[in-house]
Amino acid sequence: MKVVQISFLLASRNLWRNYRRTIIMLVAISVGAWAMIFMTALMRGMVNEMLRDGIRSLPGLVQVHNSAYRDDPSINNLVSMTDIEIETTFAAAGIERYATRVRVPAIISSERESRGVTLLGVDPLRERSIEAVGSVIAEGRGLESIDDNGIVIGKKLAGKLDTEIGKRIVLMSQDPDNEVADRGFRVVGLFEANLAAQEEAFVFAGRTVVQKMLGIDGRVSEIALTGDDYRNVELLLADTRRLMDGRDEVLSWQELDTFLGTMLGVMDGFVLVWIVVIFLALSFGLVNTLVMAVFERVREIGLMLALGMRPSGIMLQIIFESLLLLMLGLSIGNALAYASVIPLKDGLDISVVAEGMEMFGAASVLYPEIQVNDVVLANVVVLTLGLIASLSPAWRASRYEPVKAITKV
Amino acid sequence: MAVNIISRLAWRNVWRHPRRTWLTIGAMVFSNALLVFMISIQFGMYGLMIDNTLKAFTGHMQVQAPGYKDDLKMRQVVPDAATLAEKLRSELKLDRISARSSAFALLSSEDRSYGVQVFGVDPQYEPGVSTIPGLVREGRFPTDNNAQEIVIGKTLARNLRVETGDELTLLGSGRDGSFAAAVAEIVGIFDSGVPDFDRSIAEIPLGFFGDVFFMDHAAHSIVIVAPALSAVEEYRPRVEELLSPADGLVVHDWNALQPGLKQAIQADISSAFFMYGILVILVAFSVMNTQLMSVLERTHEFGIVMSLGVTPGRLGRLVLLETGMIALAGLVLGALVGGLITLWFGYKGFSYPGMDQLAANFNLPSRFYPQVTVLTLFLGPVFVFAGSILSALYPALRLQWVHPVEAMRSLQ
Amino acid sequence: MSAVRCVDLCKTYRQGDQDIKALDHVDLEISDGGFVCLSAPSGGGKTTLLNAIGGLDKPDTGEVWIAEQRIDQMSKGELAALRLSQIGFVFQAYNLIPVLSARENIEFVMQVQGQPTALRRDKAMAILREVGLAGLEDRRPAEMSGGQQQRVAVARAIVSRPALVLADEPTANLDSTTSDGLMALFVDLNQNHNTTFVIATHDQRVMGYAKRLIRMLDGKIVDDIDQQAA
Ligand SMILES: Nc1ncnc2c1ncn2[C@@H]1O[C@H](COP(=O)(O)OP(=O)(O)O)[C@@H](O)[C@H]1O
Ligand SMILES: [Mg+2]
Repeated sequence: MKVVQISFLLASRNLWRNYRRTIIMLVAISVGAWAMIFMTALMRGMVNEMLRDGIRSLPGLVQVHNSAYRDDPSINNLVSMTDIEIETTFAAAGIERYATRVRVPAIISSERESRGVTLLGVDPLRERSIEAVGSVIAEGRGLESIDDNGIVIGKKLAGKLDTEIGKRIVLMSQDPDNEVADRGFRVVGLFEANLAAQEEAFVFAGRTVVQKMLGIDGRVSEIALTGDDYRNVELLLADTRRLMDGRDEVLSWQELDTFLGTMLGVMDGFVLVWIVVIFLALSFGLVNTLVMAVFERVREIGLMLALGMRPSGIMLQIIFESLLLLMLGLSIGNALAYASVIPLKDGLDISVVAEGMEMFGAASVLYPEIQVNDVVLANVVVLTLGLIASLSPAWRASRYEPVKAITKV
Repeated sequence: MAVNIISRLAWRNVWRHPRRTWLTIGAMVFSNALLVFMISIQFGMYGLMIDNTLKAFTGHMQVQAPGYKDDLKMRQVVPDAATLAEKLRSELKLDRISARSSAFALLSSEDRSYGVQVFGVDPQYEPGVSTIPGLVREGRFPTDNNAQEIVIGKTLARNLRVETGDELTLLGSGRDGSFAAAVAEIVGIFDSGVPDFDRSIAEIPLGFFGDVFFMDHAAHSIVIVAPALSAVEEYRPRVEELLSPADGLVVHDWNALQPGLKQAIQADISSAFFMYGILVILVAFSVMNTQLMSVLERTHEFGIVMSLGVTPGRLGRLVLLETGMIALAGLVLGALVGGLITLWFGYKGFSYPGMDQLAANFNLPSRFYPQVTVLTLFLGPVFVFAGSILSALYPALRLQWVHPVEAMRSLQ
Repeated sequence: MSAVRCVDLCKTYRQGDQDIKALDHVDLEISDGGFVCLSAPSGGGKTTLLNAIGGLDKPDTGEVWIAEQRIDQMSKGELAALRLSQIGFVFQAYNLIPVLSARENIEFVMQVQGQPTALRRDKAMAILREVGLAGLEDRRPAEMSGGQQQRVAVARAIVSRPALVLADEPTANLDSTTSDGLMALFVDLNQNHNTTFVIATHDQRVMGYAKRLIRMLDGKIVDDIDQQAA
């Protein structure tokens, strides 16, 4: 262990011998580490917000539907249990964060305009418990109970329909016998969402009112359940499957929205690729620095070998020097990355490309998110690959012939 | 002669430490190859994304009533649209021009109803401005402008439990807000491959649409496809000239019609260029390091040459020349390697896990064939080259402060 | 028992298109407790012979034995261990590790040997006093004169009391007083600890201390004089 000590001492002193070179390399490593973490934080911020938005609009991490509903989202494909049965079953299992919803395609008409929308008959209290889209009210009031007579529509949709709070609109859909079911509602509130598309797509009314209008008393189209971590839905999924006892289709958000599900996987892959690419770009300079350092120290390396230090001691010195350089650069880079997201904690406004971001399903304000696991990944990858990259110069140094080194003038 | 000696000297210096030089060139080749490949893919994808998106439905330009683009209100119309379309076709000598209307309606079959967007299209000219008529897999696209016929997507047909030959009821509101209803026969079913799209759209002949929704010869837009995307700017003023000022119509180009498209590209370009910038900076540091080393180890030598009367400026230029040689090698080799990799993927096709899912969102295929152009081949490497030369300025300028006597006393 | 035995050593270097015989059939045996001076003009093969004895360099042909162990066929690791435990070196030039202080340079070998910190510190301070460098323990090589550096190198070579000390022109940079002091130290070690010394030199004063004087010329031993008898 004494050899490790002396190797470390020599490495830390040698690092500062050619301080210009060390500083240039440190700056490069710091910039690289900063870029790894900062860029990842921006992308993570975007994708996480996308996932949260997507999950809010699904809504939930897990949903239950009639197995025919996803291909044919009509009034005829309803969940097999009645809402009362669902309530008792879920209450018995201790599941609280769920919402039962009627969800059907409909046409909404003001005096002047018509639009296709998704009509949701909801229980407003339960909606809030799963943090579904539509809970952020911009004007007027939200729904107050499951038999609230009013309707809440998106702000954007209100504009397109030329309607406003207090005015009447008509909703038209079909009942189970394919008779046109329509009903007039008074607009009581306008909701706001991160994505314009959501403000145009959904309208919310009290669940029992919608059930009555469509003639499906006590029945719902979907059950939406949520949990704390969208990366871990297995448990919730299994619990729900057990409760539904194979009667309906129970799917996770990844299966419900394959674009979102893929996005998470692609993002994880991108983070790793980005880290490795930056490292590779740095590795040439790192190896170069080590090669130069070894080259300049031929004589003292020979001397140490001549005095009886084993080649492994020499290797250790070079590897320590490389790791010290990397760790120092990484520390600075990490600190810079953390510091550079501070001024952005209120979000980076990219609304100039808002419609473009919406094509990705992303919002127009970006909140960088530094995830500890990304930071750990970046540092571990750089140190590990850095270690591997320094093996070759370190090996070469340890192979020097002491006598050549000593007698070299 | 002098130039010859200087460049020969520079060349020899470059190869004093071959391993070091190759490592520096290696950094350049790595970054350059990556840049060539990424930029080729990126630019190719942008082109495809624009083409595929506009080809499907939007066209290159549309004539509309002001405000229609954002509000899509029934009463924001182009009056006498068929006549205007005909005039544009003959005056501009383009036949890919077609009038179109749209409305939301409830489509009902025997046992199902769905709300969809119904388009009124000119059976004769629509195939020139949209890919949907060509996607009809079952039955046919209407031919008679006044026929009570409808074409729907595959998913919608399945959901409505109908096939060609069945009848559908349309319910909606007309241009004046009054109740609009009609019955139409399903003559064709299209399949775009995107289930949600195929559930939300139906097309009927423009004349029939006018009758049902009380359009009175008006339509909502006239879709124009220019001979090429790049010709849009040339055609736009000509279209504007042909409009009668009394109607107060406007011409929107594709960028106004699909603002997301250009913005998505801009967002993608800016994040990509941030990443490319980092690569260039890292290579520049690598070069700065190498050149600083090479200057420092020659301090003694430079001292001698300076005491012989060579100016620091000339030595600085020597260092820059050496850097230029290394950077040129990096540029040529990098562009070559990058170009070859791109060609290989251009032949084999490029894909990554999850791409099929993401690509569909942007109207892109799940396998992509990048192409090498002069721009994609040299855009990245030129920046790396410039970054390298810039970074060598520090070691080169350092020479200005070198004192010959001090330098000669230094050991190495 | 012999401390060093060389049998028929040959070593040829190529310089340009010329072959130089640095060692030309050298036979040599040095017994335990010997105090030998190798003297030769510059280029005579002194350094080459010392390197061969110390296992730093392999002869082209012939055998090298240290303490009855044949070393010219040992692996690098075995040689390193041998040097560490039995041999102290003073090289002709470039003796010290630039980033370490005088004390740390002296401690280097002991540290690689794995001696405890306190012990090796005491030994280093003691030896620094013995070579007359008390108070300079924290200086780096660049902050010391050539003579001081040479004394640090000597201190390092003898600090862990090796059985054999190989010194290549140890007095080359020293004034006569310091040289005498150094030689007195060597003689003392030789007498009290039975340490074997092989010293390459062309300094007449140094030769005066030797029990045995070996003269070389062009890689050959030309003279071998027992000075004790005289
Ligand atoms: N590494 C080497 N390469 C070529 N020639 C060498 C080398 N080392 C020593 N020599 C030559 O071998 C001969 C003996 O050298 P050396 O043992 O250093 O002599 P001394 O130490 O007596 O001055 C000299 O002629 C020298 O030039
Ligand atoms: Mg010598």
